[in-house]
Amino acid sequence: MRHLLVDARQRRIAAVLIGRGKKAQLVDWAQLSGFGPDAVMVVDEGALRPPSDDREQAAAAGKLELVGKRALSERGNELGELDDVTFDADTGVLEDLLIGGRRVPAGSLLGCGSYAAVLKETQENAP
Amino acid sequence: MGTIGWLILVVIVIMVAVVAFVVIRRRRRSGGVIATKDKR
Amino acid sequence: MRLLMTASQIRGLPVVTVQGGEDVAEVRDVIYNPEAGRLVGVTLNKRGFLAGRSRDVLAAEAIHAIGQDAVMVLNESSLVAPDDAPDDVGHPATERNVLGDDILTEGGASLGKVVDLVLLVGSSGEVVGYQIDKAGGGQGYIPLPAQLSVSGVALVVPNITEEFIQDDLVGLGAAVDEFRARLGLT
Repeated sequence: MRHLLVDARQRRIAAVLIGRGKKAQLVDWAQLSGFGPDAVMVVDEGALRPPSDDREQAAAAGKLELVGKRALSERGNELGELDDVTFDADTGVLEDLLIGGRRVPAGSLLGCGSYAAVLKETQENAP
Repeated sequence: MGTIGWLILVVIVIMVAVVAFVVIRRRRRSGGVIATKDKR
Repeated sequence: MRLLMTASQIRGLPVVTVQGGEDVAEVRDVIYNPEAGRLVGVTLNKRGFLAGRSRDVLAAEAIHAIGQDAVMVLNESSLVAPDDAPDDVGHPATERNVLGDDILTEGGASLGKVVDLVLLVGSSGEVVGYQIDKAGGGQGYIPLPAQLSVSGVALVVPNITEEFIQDDLVGLGAAVDEFRARLGLT
């Protein structure tokens, strides 16, 4: 199973997680030579590394998983659940977020953590 | 009392202790609305 | 038409960082200054069912927004030790609970007692009304002017407030602007 670590500030995928829990390892996006629906290709085996900080360890524990994450506006109102995320398979840059059936540009993402993904509040999602 | 009786008593005491612990911890968290005065 | 929420709805809300998406605390007490017409800050509990109080506090200036599901702050540095916060937040001068206080009009009529505060959703703590136990019985909501005077243990409101008592928060949302416009004209 493959999971992704997102850099919210740059709105792109920072790394891919291989495995979960104590044995989890990360591959930085820059070290990937290919990304597909069933597998990723790494430059070489040395690209796999253990989690190096608290955030990466939280990701390894599955706490930062974007899909299924609570979506919260920066004004403090819940927007729904993050159903899906699309991104450019070459650059790793996020494109769209699917929230409660609505498509929202990834530019709205302000931050994401274990509790919620925080989004700018727009006309569509204001309460 | 028979052994069963004592056992039940111990279980009840433990349950009461747990409930008391939880209630005391939760009460420390209860909050209210505090009004402050402008002029001191 | 304004979206409103009560102070009791804020208590217990998670405090979430915009930059980190983490629930760093939750709201314990709401600290209100009636003369300023707004919250001055909030005291905190740690997150978790059996977690204890947090010693940190959150001043209104550091609140990004209060919403129906969370209080938003920019990041963890918004939560500070009481000594590093404004005095009325870190060490409130009077730990007096405004709930239960009488509401009197300037003319001396008693409208009832305060049961809860009503705040503007999305603001950093602007109080626009009170939920009251009406003097004649039953519950109601009254709009407030931008500033209020306090006399002893009673809160004093303009005379025309009596005409603007509402049955529910929705009605209050509609009434606040009209009430303040009327105040501006008298």
